[in-house]
Amino acid sequence: MKLLAKILGLALAVAATFAACGAAASLALGSQALSAGNASVTTCGVASLSTTRSVDNSGNFTQIVVSSVPAACAGETLSVTLVNGSGGPLGSSSAVVPAGGGAMTFSGFGTVSATSLMGFEYAVAGA
Amino acid sequence: MQRLVLIFAIAIAASTSIAYAASLNVGSWHLWAGAQTLTKATCTLSGTTSTTDTYVDEKNPATTAGGSTTLSVGPKTGQRTWAFVRFDLSSCSIPATGGADSATLNLRITTAPASTRTLDVTPVLSTWDGTLTWTGAQALTYGSNFATITTGTTSNVTKSVTVTADIDALIKNGGANFGWRISEASSVTNVTTLFGSAENATAGNQPQLVVSYEK
Repeated sequence: MKLLAKILGLALAVAATFAACGAAASLALGSQALSAGNASVTTCGVASLSTTRSVDNSGNFTQIVVSSVPAACAGETLSVTLVNGSGGPLGSSSAVVPAGGGAMTFSGFGTVSATSLMGFEYAVAGA
Repeated sequence: MQRLVLIFAIAIAASTSIAYAASLNVGSWHLWAGAQTLTKATCTLSGTTSTTDTYVDEKNPATTAGGSTTLSVGPKTGQRTWAFVRFDLSSCSIPATGGADSATLNLRITTAPASTRTLDVTPVLSTWDGTLTWTGAQALTYGSNFATITTGTTSNVTKSVTVTADIDALIKNGGANFGWRISEASSVTNVTTLFGSAENATAGNQPQLVVSYEK
C-alpha cells in the first residue's frame, strides 16, 4: 500500500510539473500582451514629453503636437489621453512613432472645450 | 495517506514555481507613462503699455493718427476710415508652449453712427505701428474676415469679439498676426463709428483684450 501511494504521488507530481511547464511555454510563444507575464520592461529613452495644443475660434481643442519623441521609440505606440480636472478622460488617440521620432500630431478627439482640458496622459509601449 | 497528500502538495508547489520562472523570460518590452498638468490663468490687457492702435484715412492717405483718443471707422467711398488695434502679450508671461482657452477683444463705441453698421474684423498678418497711414495700410497683408461688429446706434456701449484662434496662434508664434483691422465695405453712406483708443483718458473706453490661457 505504501509503495502504491508513493508511485501515485510521484505520478501526480510529474504530471503537474509538465502541465505547468506546458502553460509557461505557451505563454512565451503565443502571448504579445504585457500583462501576460513578468517580462523585462524598460523605456525607449523617454524621460518626459511636452505638448502644444491648438484651439479653434470657439475655444474647442483641435489638435496637439507632442514634440521631442525619441528616435529610439520608432515603431512603438504613443498614446495620448486628454483629461479633465478630475482626471477623467475627455478623449484619446494613439499612433505609431515614425522612424526618427520627433514631433507627432494628434487630432480627431471630437469636440473638447479647451477650458475643460486640464492635462494630458501619455504612454509609449512596444516590444 | 498523509504522505500521499504531502507529496501531492509538494508537486503542485513545484509546478507553480516552474511556471512563474518561465514567465519571467517571456520577452523584453518598452513601457513609459507620463502626465502633463495644465495651469490655467487669465490676463487682461489695456492701455498704451500693451496696446497699439490707430486709424487711417483714405482722404488723407499720408496722415497718421496713432495718438488719437478715438478710432474712426467709416465706409464712404473716397473717405473711408479703418481702425487698427493690436496687443503685446509679453506682460502676460505665457510661454510659447501654452495656449489660449478663450480670448475676447472688447471695443467701446464712444460715438455711435446714425444708422446701425456691420463692421468687419480682419486679422492683420504683417506688422504695423502707430505711424501707419492709409497708403501704408494698402500694403499690409490681411487674413480673412472672421467676425463682425454690429454697431447699433447707441453710444458708450462695449462690443465684444471672440479672437481665440488668433491669440492662440500669437501665443505660439509672436509673428503669427498683428492684431485686427476694423473696417466696412465701401459705400455711399456717410456715417462714422468712433471707438475709444488706448490713449483715451477714460480707462473704460480703451480697447481691452481678455485672455484665458493655459500653460
